[in-house]
Amino acid sequence: MKLSAMIKAGMAGLLALAAGVVFSAANAATINVTRCVGSLNKTLSGQTVTFWGFGTGGMMCTGALPGAAIEVGVYPAGSGMSDTLNLTLSINGMTPQENAPYNGHTIHLHGADVATAEDGVPETGAAVGGDTYTWTPTSEMAGSYLYHCHVHTVKHLEMGMYGALIARPKNTSGVFLNQLTHNTATAFDYVQNYVFGSVDPAYHTATGDSTVFADYNPVYFLISGNQGLTTSAPAMTLAAAVNKKVALRLLGLHSVNGTFAVKDGSGNAKSFTVYTQDGRELSAPQTVTSLDVSPGQRFDIVFTTPATTGTWYPQITYKNLRNGTAYTNGTVYGRVTF
Amino acid sequence: MAAWGYTEVAGTPKFPGPTLTANEGDTVNVTVVNNHNINHNFLIQGVTTDTTAIAPGGNRVYSFTASTAGSYLYYDTLNSNINREMCMYGMLWVGPADGSAKAWTNGPSYSFQRMWVVGEMDKARWNDVAGSGGTVNTSVYKPNYFLINGQGGFDGMNNTATTIDGGVGQTALVRIVNGGQFAQSLHFHGNHVQVLTINGARQSSPYKKVDVINVPPLGTADVLFVLNQLGSYPMHNHTAQMETANGVYLNGVATMIIMR
Ligand SMILES: [Cu+2]
Ligand SMILES: [Cu+2]
Repeated sequence: MKLSAMIKAGMAGLLALAAGVVFSAANAATINVTRCVGSLNKTLSGQTVTFWGFGTGGMMCTGALPGAAIEVGVYPAGSGMSDTLNLTLSINGMTPQENAPYNGHTIHLHGADVATAEDGVPETGAAVGGDTYTWTPTSEMAGSYLYHCHVHTVKHLEMGMYGALIARPKNTSGVFLNQLTHNTATAFDYVQNYVFGSVDPAYHTATGDSTVFADYNPVYFLISGNQGLTTSAPAMTLAAAVNKKVALRLLGLHSVNGTFAVKDGSGNAKSFTVYTQDGRELSAPQTVTSLDVSPGQRFDIVFTTPATTGTWYPQITYKNLRNGTAYTNGTVYGRVTF
Repeated sequence: MAAWGYTEVAGTPKFPGPTLTANEGDTVNVTVVNNHNINHNFLIQGVTTDTTAIAPGGNRVYSFTASTAGSYLYYDTLNSNINREMCMYGMLWVGPADGSAKAWTNGPSYSFQRMWVVGEMDKARWNDVAGSGGTVNTSVYKPNYFLINGQGGFDGMNNTATTIDGGVGQTALVRIVNGGQFAQSLHFHGNHVQVLTINGARQSSPYKKVDVINVPPLGTADVLFVLNQLGSYPMHNHTAQMETANGVYLNGVATMIIMR
């Protein structure tokens, strides 16, 4: 743990002791989360592909694709309250990794405006043998972020070392709100994270500086680690009700172009409203029927289910970086029933 | 690697081409002399329309009024993208009529600006072939070098013409044009930027704050970077292979943000 993180954690502890005296700080939380790194195999179109996922556990880490989402509270503007995230990366002799110079791992808090020491970039001094990364988001930062490894990123991102990081509104009692931001117009009844990913299996077996990494040929496409090639076998499912608001957090960890849409069973595109981009609320929400999501981008969107029962399919079509043509098997489906 | 380029000085082509500047209202005359052995032309996207080929040894004058402040891509439109891929592109930026350090008249002010011309090259299939007079199969494009101002990786991170390097309290205007054929998804670490223009469309205040700006092929963007904390951060393309040079990391489209 870095000194700055220790000081922040210590301060939060002291303020917590003063609960009931210092109202504004009493309900702010220090959120301590630990992630390790573990290998996992996925069967994609019948082929086995090895990933490294952020997970939990001791020496024997159980990795997940994507890593479990992390939520940090953000409080109403002017409340003076904030949560502090201390995200610890635990690495040991069992941790899967590459040889030097790409040994070890870090966590980059992608999109979080943090000090250099919390940014997780080896080239600017981050340790690769484990560390604690601290972030204290403020009210206007409600939205979606990512955490991912920043060692030999061309490989380690592709290996699946990523997860969702959410700055989620809390009220001054410290209770999470079902809103994207402190603007009540962003309220939702249901929420899911759609983490976009693309897979070139050659990147999973190559290591070090290899010409393999000069040419990206993705053949498997994912939402939150699942293929979802058809509407009957979707990557994500949600059982919602009619006349309800469904929020989706769209998190771009793919390495190609992508276009997101929500369609009914006949392929008719449905309107949805974009409220945030890259962890900042748009000054004017945008209601659209399709949305391009490029590598590293995040959007939070909401749609309202109709008054009659049915099924809609949120979906992303992954596209070539050169000309935007869709990849073979490049559309991945989610499913929302109501 | 074989490349072709525009330049101000015959015999020393530049990659990318020289940056052209003007203020709103200026009349600009650009004379292009073709010292190469194949046809070329010169189009400033959104500004000029003449795409007539200039034969080897010939020249052509392009006259226009710089009517709208902003950042523009110029390039050679001929030869099925091959001339452009060989690095025949660059930037024109137009400032407000009074020459002040503003994005446009009465627009956002800046302390300093940076010009980022991004693109990529497929050495084996395009540069080596076109450079030796062969026929490029333009249906296949697998670029293996990804460039910011003609450089990649640590070169781009150390080039003071590219880095956002300044004092806390300053504001940088970053002008981005994509002369390549791949979309560029550029990620700013630890900071958000304000989007002033995207593909020539001027945005209105309050400007959208993002940490990723996607610039499509032939696209442009102007972003405002407020230096509001001490520290050093990378800015890099977030697309896997575009962080390498022929597979070697850390390369590709990357530079540094240094706040003192
Ligand atoms: Cu890693
Ligand atoms: Cu990232």
